[in-house]
Parts: sequence; structure tokens; C-alpha cells
Amino acid sequence: MALTGLDIFKQLPKTNCKDCGSPTCLAFAMAMANGKASLDMCPHATEAAKETLGAATAPPVRTVKVGVGEQEVVMGDETVLFRHDKTFYHPTALAIQISDTLSGAELDAKIEKINGLVMDRVGQKIAIDMVAVTNCSGNAATFKAAVEAVAAKANFALLLVANLEGLEAAVPAVAAKKPLLHAATAENWEKVVALAKANNCPVVVKGDGLDDTAALVEKVAAQYKELVIDFGNKQQAKTLAELINARRLAIKKKFRPFGYPLLACTVATDSKEEIVEAATYVAKYASIVCLKVDEKAQLLPLMAWRMNIYTDPQKPMAVESSKVYEIGNVGPDSPVYVCTNFALTYFAVEGEVAASKIPGYIVAVDTDGASVLTAWAAGKFVAEPIAEFIKNIGIMDKVNHNSIVIPGYVAIISGKLKEKSGLDVIVGPQEAAGIPAFAKARYPHLVK
Amino acid sequence: LNGYPLNPLCRCIRLTLPAANLQDNRDDLNRLTLALKKETKCTDINISLPIIRNLGETLRAAQFKVTVLVSEVGGKAEIIAVEPGHSQQPLYGIAVDIGTTTVVAYLLDLEKGRVVETAGTHNRQARFGDDVISRIVYAVDEPDGLKTVYQSIIDTINTLITDLLIKQKQIKEADIRVMMAAGNTTMAHLFLGISPKFIRLEPYIPTANFFPVVKAQALGLRVNPDALVFSYPSVASYVGGDIVSGTLFTGMGNEDAPISLLIDIGTNGEMVLGSGDWLVTCSCSAGPAFEGSGITFGMRAMYGAIERVEIDSQTYEASYSTINNGKPIGICGSGLIDCLAKLRRTGIIDRAGKFQTSLPTERIRIGDTGPEYVLVWQEETDIDRDIVISEADVKNLLRAKGAVFAGIRTLLNVVGFELESIENIYVAGGFGNYLNIPDAIAIGLLPDIPIEKYKYVGNTSAKGACMALLSQEAWLEANSLAGKMTYIELSVGNLFMDEFVSSLFIPHTDLTLFPNISL
Repeated sequence: MALTGLDIFKQLPKTNCKDCGSPTCLAFAMAMANGKASLDMCPHATEAAKETLGAATAPPVRTVKVGVGEQEVVMGDETVLFRHDKTFYHPTALAIQISDTLSGAELDAKIEKINGLVMDRVGQKIAIDMVAVTNCSGNAATFKAAVEAVAAKANFALLLVANLEGLEAAVPAVAAKKPLLHAATAENWEKVVALAKANNCPVVVKGDGLDDTAALVEKVAAQYKELVIDFGNKQQAKTLAELINARRLAIKKKFRPFGYPLLACTVATDSKEEIVEAATYVAKYASIVCLKVDEKAQLLPLMAWRMNIYTDPQKPMAVESSKVYEIGNVGPDSPVYVCTNFALTYFAVEGEVAASKIPGYIVAVDTDGASVLTAWAAGKFVAEPIAEFIKNIGIMDKVNHNSIVIPGYVAIISGKLKEKSGLDVIVGPQEAAGIPAFAKARYPHLVK
Repeated sequence: LNGYPLNPLCRCIRLTLPAANLQDNRDDLNRLTLALKKETKCTDINISLPIIRNLGETLRAAQFKVTVLVSEVGGKAEIIAVEPGHSQQPLYGIAVDIGTTTVVAYLLDLEKGRVVETAGTHNRQARFGDDVISRIVYAVDEPDGLKTVYQSIIDTINTLITDLLIKQKQIKEADIRVMMAAGNTTMAHLFLGISPKFIRLEPYIPTANFFPVVKAQALGLRVNPDALVFSYPSVASYVGGDIVSGTLFTGMGNEDAPISLLIDIGTNGEMVLGSGDWLVTCSCSAGPAFEGSGITFGMRAMYGAIERVEIDSQTYEASYSTINNGKPIGICGSGLIDCLAKLRRTGIIDRAGKFQTSLPTERIRIGDTGPEYVLVWQEETDIDRDIVISEADVKNLLRAKGAVFAGIRTLLNVVGFELESIENIYVAGGFGNYLNIPDAIAIGLLPDIPIEKYKYVGNTSAKGACMALLSQEAWLEANSLAGKMTYIELSVGNLFMDEFVSSLFIPHTDLTLFPNISL
């Protein structure tokens, strides 16, 4: 059982000195309980506390980094089994395979195609994260040549998939790019780990199922801790079960051998099935999914899915701000109501605008999901941001008048808003419940 | 003093110093501080230049007999004044509770350790806005805003000081040697003329939580110019010295104290949960509905305010009682809570606060802002209008009570305790003795736990300020409490919002939380 904030608090010095960056010892203990702070940030912790708390409060999943600079991929550091309990922190890295049997123009074309796997979604750049060079040729020299060629041109971090000979040939040449080595197995782990250690690269430990892998990781972790785990996927359902069990054990039981990022390779041969398989691993704890597909059309839904899964759910309930809401059969005469994007605020306004039986537009200013007065208090629902928002959303192009209705509670901003926006600012009723009466009095010509 | 010893923050020490001669040729300051160190057990003694300028003459004016006014806290002493001879001068202090709306001052006799006079008035900052946010906006956005807002609180306090001294004519301005101010974080900033700009902006950071001790003349307060002015420490932007003061007063942070909850039912809705070991606090921003603001016929608890309501469950007819039996002019906070409970009990509103407009009574009708219930017909009132409570009013009250209960649940949740683990609930706030606890439980404002656990504690801010002035130990404890109270930011994460939405029903979405409420 994980320790609660209060359990940890009992072991702290209770000086409230703020040296750890938290305002109080209890706040620090709560951050530790959430895996977001570690005891070494407290300079006054006693030896006894370090002993009791050290292991129990270490982050359940180790942070492992692959690649350098802009290509760096951060994995691990997850704390929950379900995103709604907190959030998932580091999005699954998608790795696309390149075989070392390709060479010359073929290889260049493939690299160029992979470099192009970058797309835009809701204003954000989404892309794959890694290129997996695989030693399909079985020849160490061929592998080395392919790895060097890829390293020179690819825009993403490297995953090198080969046997001991292949890795020994290729790794020293590209060590500066901090590739992830695949894989240390029961047979070769001592030498592969020594190679990883010597070149300061993270390494994948590949076992066969839960028990075998745990035993292997335990042996490896005694020497080196920059690890990623691969359960040796052969069947999709089994891999899913392994991913879930491993993450559960790491978080709930603090089982150290599984306290590392997890890697899964797709086994499906059909590319559509492969995307579905990959989507499952993205949802269920894989830090890296290694894929064969390289078509944009197939990867886009997978990337969108990843983006959604890894969105922070700890945001206030908000409606989408990027669109103008049309209530009823709107026309160019329809009134424009301005409110915030807090869901409860928006739906209160929407219900009453509908009840007024006068069609209207609603724009929900992005206030990070705060209500009208809360957002006003925090300086988010005041003249400048509102004027800016109304301009950007283009609502005034849809109507033939120049007026907007603002909530009565922020009547105080009407003068400044008028000045900033150049619009005729009408102060509406304080309560949304007053909208029907307000609308009937104000727009008698629109009553049907 | 709730167990704290009488040991005021400032006292007079009469010393007879060894006379200077050729054998004892120490300097005057050394002579004085050495004697003070012995007398006060303080190791660190601070003295200002103006006092040193006159020290040579002062010590010799009465053959090295002097009276020294010192303030000692935690091994450090500050010399406020040195006067020749052994005088019996009066020693008074003032404790001020700077409320957003009301400012209260207590005049204390520091030697006897008792309150000799009290005075209260409206905070003159009200003309810049009713709430702290409006005042921050004014102080930050208007030219000279900060200076104007600052000056108006100083003027308010000076008026109170004048009032106190008019009532106690034998006491002079110069006799007031020390002051203690407690108020919310915004009030503390404005009182000291510190810009409150960043309090309201994300991530809501006050400039300071602990404030330096300043001389009265630096603030323009009408007391002895050399008097020291202490300000209660704050915890965060919306949990201030008034709450720290309340925590001190209730003793909930004392060693071995059981788990207790302090709730200030007011606009900011601050609350503290904890025990001797730990304390967590938050501000649930309940809004001013329970103070009558934002409610069609809401008003303060004063003459003519409806404070109790009965509604007949058959005829839906209402009866009521008002403060001092005046002709009704509005409904005060306790009346609103009672009214909400009775509207629900008689089925006039459903659990979500919706009016059942089909009920056979003319008291339920459709008004300008939707359905409403007529509590008092026009001819019985003193305002010549029907006094009603509308659906919008009910929704407003539900949000206010929902915020308070959600705040309580969130605090319990972050430390992993259940409602049952609370041993004491201290209710503070402007309700006077009017708040009816069973009503408050019935609407889901307060948790459904045995009523014996509830204690009404009144204006704890002012009481705590007096305690700190009269006891160094209490003042040290107040500072230690402020340092250990852990502020929970309710706008981070969904916890509070989920609890809030669940609390927008009467009494709650989860009825198992209110096992003793029958509906």
C-alpha cells in the first residue's frame, strides 16, 4: 500500500522551513505521496526517515531518457493506473522500424518518408518520436552502415535493434546521440549492459513474460538502472495483460523490477490491425510502441489518440471556446451573448437563451473554465481579453449589428470593453434566469 | 487568554543602572543593554538611533534611574522608549480586526490584561468596492489607487482610536504603545501599503505572508508615534491573519488537540482542518449570499430582518419572526438558511432548488427572474413591496452552501479522513448567535454530525488579536501556526469542482452523507 501524505508527514522534521520549495512540511509530504517530490529535496530529513521513506516514496516508475537535444524522448515517471486519478505524464513514444537490408537510395527514401511523419492537430505539432533500425540482415557491418546512415539523416531519436555483435559494431559510432539499445536478453545481458554502460545509453531488457523478465531485470538493475522493459511480445492479449500487471505491480506494490518504462512491439501483420494493436498499448501504459507502418493516414489517428489519452484531465469542466454556439435558428439580427467557457456557466446561459425563444449566438470566452465572477476576479474576464477573443472568433461578421450582451455581474467592465472593442456593449441581467425577460424586452421584433 | 500566560508584547521595565565612574567606564548604551539583558533574558537587544541620541542625558537626568519600554518576543527585544526616573506610566495597546466590511478595535490595558473599551465601524474602503477583488482592482488600476485605499483604512482605524479615547477620557494617544492588526491577506497588504496586485492573478501569490513590525508614525496611526505595530501573519492569498488568529483562538493547533474544523461562513469561506500535528486550510469563495448580498431581499442581520421562517406544509402559508420584532424589510443570512430548509421540507422546491409551480397556492408565482415564493405580502412589510425569495436566489444560496461543503470535503479528502473523524466544528463569522445549526445541516451547508460537536465562536479574528497582544507565547504560537498551515489550492485539479457539483443539491447528491436528514 502506498503511503499517504500524512504517513510521510509523520517522518518529516516539521520545521516548515520551506528549503524544499514547498510552503510547509505537509505540502511537501503530499507532493511526495503523489510521487512528485523526493525526500532528498529535504535537507533536514533524518537518517531514520530516509530509511523508512526512501524506498516507499521513490517515484514508482523511473524516468529514462533517450536521444539528445530536440530529439530527446522522456519516458516513465508515471504515477497512476487511470488518467482521471491524476494524469498520464509522458506520451507514448512511437518508433518506426527501418530494416538494415535497405541501402543507398532505398534507405534514403525511407528515412525521408519517416522524417515527414509530422502533422498538425488543433494547432499543435504531432509526430513520431523514434526510428528503430533493425538488424534484419544479421550482418554486423551492414547494421553499422545502416545505423550510421540513419543517424546522419533522421530527425528522431534512435532505437537500435540487433544481437550482441550488431550492437557492439554500431553503438560506439552513434553513442553521442544516446540511442536506446534493444535488447539485453538472458543469454547476452552481461555484455549488452556493459556496452550500454560504457556508452552511457539506455538499454531494453527483454525477457519472456512476467516472471522471467522480472528475474532478468533484477539481475541487470544491480549493475545498471537506465532500463526499459520488453516482455517479448508474441501475442497481443498476453502483452496487454503483461503491461497492465507490470504497471500495477510497480505503482500499487512498489515492485521495483517493473519500475521502468515499458516497450511493446506490434505483432499484427495487417497495417490497420497494427494501428488498433498500437492504440491498445498507448492506452495501456506502453512508453514506446515499435511499429512497422509508416503511412501518415494510418498514423494520424494513432497520434490523435495518444494526444487525447495524455491530455491532463485535471482541468476544470469547460466547453470548447474555439467555436461560436448557435442557439435556435439564428440570423444576422440575432443577439450575441458573451459568457465564459466554464461548463456550468455556459449551460446556464444556453438553457435560458433557448427558453427566451429568441435565437441567439453565444461566445464562451476562454477563461480556463472559470465562472464569470471567478474569471473576473482573476483578471481573465475583463475588457482586453474579451475584446481580443471576440475579434479573433469573428462573431461580428455573422451579424448585421454591432452589439454584444455581457453578464450583469460584470457591468463594471462595460465602459472599458466598449472602448477596447469598439462594440456597443449591452449589460444583460445578472442571473441567466433573467435572459428570457431581458430578450423579450430588448428584441421585441425578434419574438415569433 | 485560553491558557496563555499574561505576558504582554510590550512592558515597562524600571532599572537602576550602576553609575558611571572611573572604574566602571563602560559606555551608556552598553550599561543599559547589559542591565536589560539580565532583566529580560533577551540576548538580542535592538535600539534606534533617535533614542541613542538622547541617551546620555536621559540616563543622567535621574541619576541612572530609568524606565524602559520594551517589546520582547522570542529572545529579541526592541527598545521603544527610554525615560528618566521610575515612572508609573499607563501602558495600553490596541487590537484591530480589519474585516473587509467591518473594522473592530479593542483597547487593552496591558498591565491588567483586560479589554477596557471596544469600538467598531464600517471599513471606509467600501467605497472602492464591497469585496477584496474590487479593491485590488481599484488599488492597481486607478492612478494613486493604492495610496487612496491605504489611506482610507488608516483613516478608518484612526476614527476608531478617537472613538475609544473619547469613551475613555483618562487615556491619551501617547499612552498607546503597541498595536496588533489581524485581517485577511488583502487587508494586511492594503493596511501596510503593499501592492496587492498579484494576489488576484494566477498563481495567486501575495507579496508577503509575514510582515515586519513597524512604528505607528510610519503608517500615520494616531497613537504614540513610537508605538510598535504588529501584523498577523498570513498563509496564502485568500487565507490571512484573521484565520490564523481564529486558529489560535480555538486552540485547534495546540499539542494533543483532536481533529477539528474551523469554518468562517463569510464571503471568502476560509476553513481550517487539523489537529496539533497538522493543519490544512483553503478558501472556498462561498460568496456573500449568506450576508444577504446578491439575494433579492437579502440584508444584514439588523432591525426588521426576517431571521426565522415557518411554512405550513398543507396550506403553504408562511409565518416568520424578525430581529427586534420590527416590520419586515428583508431576510438576513440565518433567515435565508431557514427559508431554504423550509421550502424544501414543504416540497415547494425540489432537491435541485427548482420551484414546483403547480402547487395550489398564490404565494408561488412567476416573477421577473423566474418562479418565486412570496414570504411576506406587501401590506405586512415596511418597504411597500412583497418580500419574495426567487429561484435565482435559491440557486445562489445553493452555490454558496455547496462551496462551503465542497471545501470541507476537499480538505478531508487531501488528508484521507472521513467526516466522522472530526471532533469539533468551530463556526465563525458574522451570524452572531443566529445561525441555526440543524437548519444549516438540513440544507447541506454543514456536515451531518452530532450537534454537540458544533461550537459557535464569533469574531475569532479580534479575539486572537487581543490574545497575541497580551501574551508573547500566544504571538509566537500564531507565527508558528501560520508557518505550518498548509494551503490547498482549490482551483488545481477536479477534486473541488466534483465535490462542488455534488453539493448543489439539498442536502447533497450523496444522501448517505446526511443520514439524519429526512426528506
